[in-house]
Amino acid sequence: MPEQAHTFTEVDLVAYGAATWDWHRLHYDQAHAQAKQLPGVLIDGQAFGAVFAREAMRWAGPTAFIQRMGLKMKSMAFAGDHLVARGHVTAIEKREGQWVVQIDQQLMCGDRLVAQAISEIQLDKA
Amino acid sequence: MALLTPELQAMIGRQVHYPAREAFGHASIRYFALAMHDDNPLYVDEDYAKAAGYPGIIAPPTLVCETCQYAHRVPDADGYIGHEWHLPVPGCRMIRAGNDYAFTRPVLATDRISVTWTLESMVEKPSSRGGMQLFVMSVATYNDAQGHTVATNREALVFQPLVPHAQTQP
Repeated sequence: MPEQAHTFTEVDLVAYGAATWDWHRLHYDQAHAQAKQLPGVLIDGQAFGAVFAREAMRWAGPTAFIQRMGLKMKSMAFAGDHLVARGHVTAIEKREGQWVVQIDQQLMCGDRLVAQAISEIQLDKA
Repeated sequence: MALLTPELQAMIGRQVHYPAREAFGHASIRYFALAMHDDNPLYVDEDYAKAAGYPGIIAPPTLVCETCQYAHRVPDADGYIGHEWHLPVPGCRMIRAGNDYAFTRPVLATDRISVTWTLESMVEKPSSRGGMQLFVMSVATYNDAQGHTVATNREALVFQPLVPHAQTQP
């Protein structure tokens, strides 16, 4: 799968928080984050799953359907961090007449692993 | 001191149900796509979605598991309005360890999705930082108006003591 960079700006975190009805201060309130001894406003870990799903759907096409995603948070990331999503196919098989691929995706911040997802995608659901 | 107290153990199996208050919504889907810089036309273009074989605009796959749209309460002191168990685990910080999502079909903009959270289990395990930590497993089940499950979200949270217990340090 092609690599894709994604940097969540502070504006992005406000937009993501609003779009998911998650108004926790950690994601936009710099003073609150500093009081929690964090270096900046924190990216919601579930947003990493959204990045993985976006890239998987771009790669697999409009008729693909993600059946499962196992998402693991490995380290924290903050507004302004330069993140890169990457992934590769680990298996492909036919189930009940449908092709299903398994992909392993990682979200990196430099050499540091931020999150990982293993997903199963049905290629022609629609 | 054990983190997994009898008070916590008694909470295992607890369930909270959040009925659907409105349709998932075209605006919610478009808003999320914009926030994620996701230009996939499946989320904004009715004709494109139908041409791809769907009844109409669909939601990005993980949105149903990420949104707290089901909630309807005043935000707490941290600004949060989503589901919480309010577990009495003093002196700990909470960390999201992971989520296992399973989907049975795409969520449509017109779907009315209700959510049921279940507190499945709590397990105390040694921490690599020293001391013990508490793993809390919950599952959210997302049902459509016909009662069919469209997604489940099994969530693992970890409560880590801010100061590891002295006698359990390596």
